[in-house]
Amino acid sequence: MRRSLTLYGLTFSLPLLIWQLLFFVFPLVFLVALSFWTVKNFRMQADLDTVNWATMYGRSVFWQAYGTTLAMASAASVLVSILAFPCSYAIAFKLSETARRWAIFLMVIPFFTSYLVRVYSWQIFLSDAGIINVMLGWIGLGPFGLLNTVGATIVGYLTLTYPLVVLLQLFSLVFIDRTLIEAAHNLRCGRLRTVFAVIIPSARVGLVIAALFAFILSFGDFVSPIYLGGGDPTTLSILITDTTKSGQQWPRAAVIALTMIATLLFVAFVAVRFAYKGRSK
Amino acid sequence: MKNNTLVSFEGVVKRFGDFLAVQRMDFEIAKGEFLAIMGSSGCGKTTTLRMLAGLEAPSEGVIRLSGKPINDLPTWSRDTPMVWQSLALFPFLNVIENVEFALKMRGIGKTERRRRAEQWLDRMQITEFASRNISQLSGGQRQRVALARSLVVEPEILLLDEPLSALDAALKVRMQSVLKNLQRETGITFVYVTHSQSEAFSMADRVVIMSRGKIEQIGTPQEIYRTPRTRFVAGFLGSSNMFTGKVTGIDGGVVTLDTPSGALRLGATDLPGPVAVGQTATLTVLDTKTHLATRAPAGNVNALPVRMIGEEFIGATATIYLEASDGHEIRVQKSHEDLANLPLQIGQELVAHWPLEDGHLVMEA
Amino acid sequence: MSDSSANMNRSRLVDLSLKIYIILGFAFVFAPIAASFVFSFNSDRFPSIPLGHFSLEWYEAVASDPFAWQGLRNTLFVGVIVGIVSTGLGFGAAYTDFRYRFFGKQIYLALALLPPTIPVVILGLAMLAYLSRINLSGNSLSVIIAHVVICAPFAMAIIRLRLSQMDPDLEAAAWNLGASEWAAMRHVIIPFTKPAILGALFITMAVSFDEFAIAWFVSGLNETLPVKVLGFLQGQVSPRINAIGTFVFVTSMTLVILAQILLTGRSAKVRPVADEQE
Repeated sequence: MRRSLTLYGLTFSLPLLIWQLLFFVFPLVFLVALSFWTVKNFRMQADLDTVNWATMYGRSVFWQAYGTTLAMASAASVLVSILAFPCSYAIAFKLSETARRWAIFLMVIPFFTSYLVRVYSWQIFLSDAGIINVMLGWIGLGPFGLLNTVGATIVGYLTLTYPLVVLLQLFSLVFIDRTLIEAAHNLRCGRLRTVFAVIIPSARVGLVIAALFAFILSFGDFVSPIYLGGGDPTTLSILITDTTKSGQQWPRAAVIALTMIATLLFVAFVAVRFAYKGRSK
Repeated sequence: MKNNTLVSFEGVVKRFGDFLAVQRMDFEIAKGEFLAIMGSSGCGKTTTLRMLAGLEAPSEGVIRLSGKPINDLPTWSRDTPMVWQSLALFPFLNVIENVEFALKMRGIGKTERRRRAEQWLDRMQITEFASRNISQLSGGQRQRVALARSLVVEPEILLLDEPLSALDAALKVRMQSVLKNLQRETGITFVYVTHSQSEAFSMADRVVIMSRGKIEQIGTPQEIYRTPRTRFVAGFLGSSNMFTGKVTGIDGGVVTLDTPSGALRLGATDLPGPVAVGQTATLTVLDTKTHLATRAPAGNVNALPVRMIGEEFIGATATIYLEASDGHEIRVQKSHEDLANLPLQIGQELVAHWPLEDGHLVMEA
Repeated sequence: MSDSSANMNRSRLVDLSLKIYIILGFAFVFAPIAASFVFSFNSDRFPSIPLGHFSLEWYEAVASDPFAWQGLRNTLFVGVIVGIVSTGLGFGAAYTDFRYRFFGKQIYLALALLPPTIPVVILGLAMLAYLSRINLSGNSLSVIIAHVVICAPFAMAIIRLRLSQMDPDLEAAAWNLGASEWAAMRHVIIPFTKPAILGALFITMAVSFDEFAIAWFVSGLNETLPVKVLGFLQGQVSPRINAIGTFVFVTSMTLVILAQILLTGRSAKVRPVADEQE
């Protein structure tokens, strides 16, 4: 009863609302305003000028970075979804209750280690005199230039997204009704066909959401492209940090950031639509 | 208002958005009575109880407690403790702390609190579990804790929302007698919501039967059982045969009804209201008062030719299923001795009969 | 549950390869974590195999760096404040979602849960620009503000989960027994959610402890430890980062395991006994 907001209720509801309005919504709104400001003599001025949008959108560097980021994040999210699926499938269906709980616990651990430290650690593996090249040397191969490549960046993206994608896929797989699978077998649907005909469609929402999160994380990540990719090719996040550092060009950085947010919102919208397609709410 | 009235509902309506949960309700609860509110799920019985407890506000009308309107009184300022269907015992408190809770909220000192709580633990025979965790108790023990927790403030009224629904059948029967005795000894008014006919009829002094947010009938268990006042009540209790048809005559204290199964008569002494020729009405007769014979008996009775279609034996009684000439199903419930002289085979032609005074009339709503 | 009925439909070879695949997945996830740990105790300036000898020199190097201590102090200070504030805000939001239905609740929940999905680089940029406008940038306060935005959703999720395990009648039962809303909050809601509140406190501290990117953008001189780490990376790469990383990892894991114990400790208690026929 008493749905109307009382002093009591507001005491609990308002603080977070105010905080997120002040320090989450306003900064993002300010970013929009900032993108119309101008920079003169290394000083920002409040303005209503579309010059930053025109400048950024007129530069091939920007569109190259946009294409690169989009392609790499898409590739990473498809790749991680494919690589993670057998693992989450096996954890969901092939492990005992206890083993599964341990597997989940182990997959959570990476969230509490610094991503930066893990990326640095990959440098130890991938550098010219690093662990992998030394091992390859033992069998007479290499050394290969592994670091500062697109492949290394993707390894970084996978480090960031693999545990999360496994967990999200896992949570949709464990809720599949086991009798569906038995029914499929019973109807002469083979093992592999059951995976594609029954399990993947049943877990579609979780699988799409997992891929979406992988995309969001990779799309915005700047650690991996800098420290494993060597800053080449330039991604949007590198472009943002570079633009910020060079001559107070914050308004232009804001244009990049807003373009990224718009892209993420669009991708998220399409993904959610696809995930829930043909489902009643 | 009678002076032994404790609670009165006056024109109370409850809406949830467009949904009418309780339609205009007027009734009174007397001091010291055991009232059961009964109906199937969604009939508004729990909403009624929650309005009395102050957990829902009525959309219209007034609820009075001891004569004073309590609509605007928040639940924590009313003395209307409730025993919840889920029991809602506090899992982070032990047994005695649960029982002390209401006293603590009333600012009663620690020693006094403990003393009164212990009294109730003793009364409910759960003293030995005082420092146990709730999770360590059985269903029956939890029930007693929940009762002690609500009764410790010695209220005038106790509300119970299907408190026995989680217990197994044997424990249910035991707890029914515990509740009935408790109510008799304390003299506290019990308002007991249930969907179970056996719980309501075995404990309550009066029963309220609700359907779709409306009160169908209020009365003692005997009244309701013998003379269901609406088709719904008769159907809900499921213990009567019902024949619907048109009233064709009212003379000499006898009402005649033309039904698809045949013409039936009943005594006009106990009519629910004015009856006119041409009206649709339903005649009900208890299945225990419906008799069977191989041929129509002499005398002033209703007699219908029927054909046996099935039988069912439960303990000492048997239920015989029959079909009237129009296919209408009729049940007869009898002890085995009563049936001993009848040729009971599927397909057997028989006559169902009952005296005129055992039939009751229900006007079609 | 290894359903025995399906056993006959299983292929041992497929099962075995799948289990090996799980292990490979974990190897990929834990390789960098393990390497960082191992090389933090290794003497070589440029870490690789074969390993050099065991050494604590990188820990000593960090320990003798006054800036590292300053960073640690800031990190801890920020972490504790962030933990407390975001748990408080998260609790309020979780309770609001649990108890109330109101117009615009979807928007409220979006605000409460969305921030972690915005890339940190964008959030960092927006915050730095905004906070410097309102003269809040460049100090610990700005780091705290930014971290709370990220951490409060985690606290809310953890506490909301606990509230959803609560019998919804419990709060009403307290009111019914004479507790005002405030008293029911104090005597029922808070005791019930206490494990989750403490869990959220530790988890948000751990998240703050790790969160470097925003701190890098937002903070000026008062660097937190992860910002220091970034400094190492940008300048000369030094195995000192492994020492710091290992230290941060051990601290975070301690907090997380503490939280885990608190969150699961209660529910693992004695099962109810069966109904005896007294």
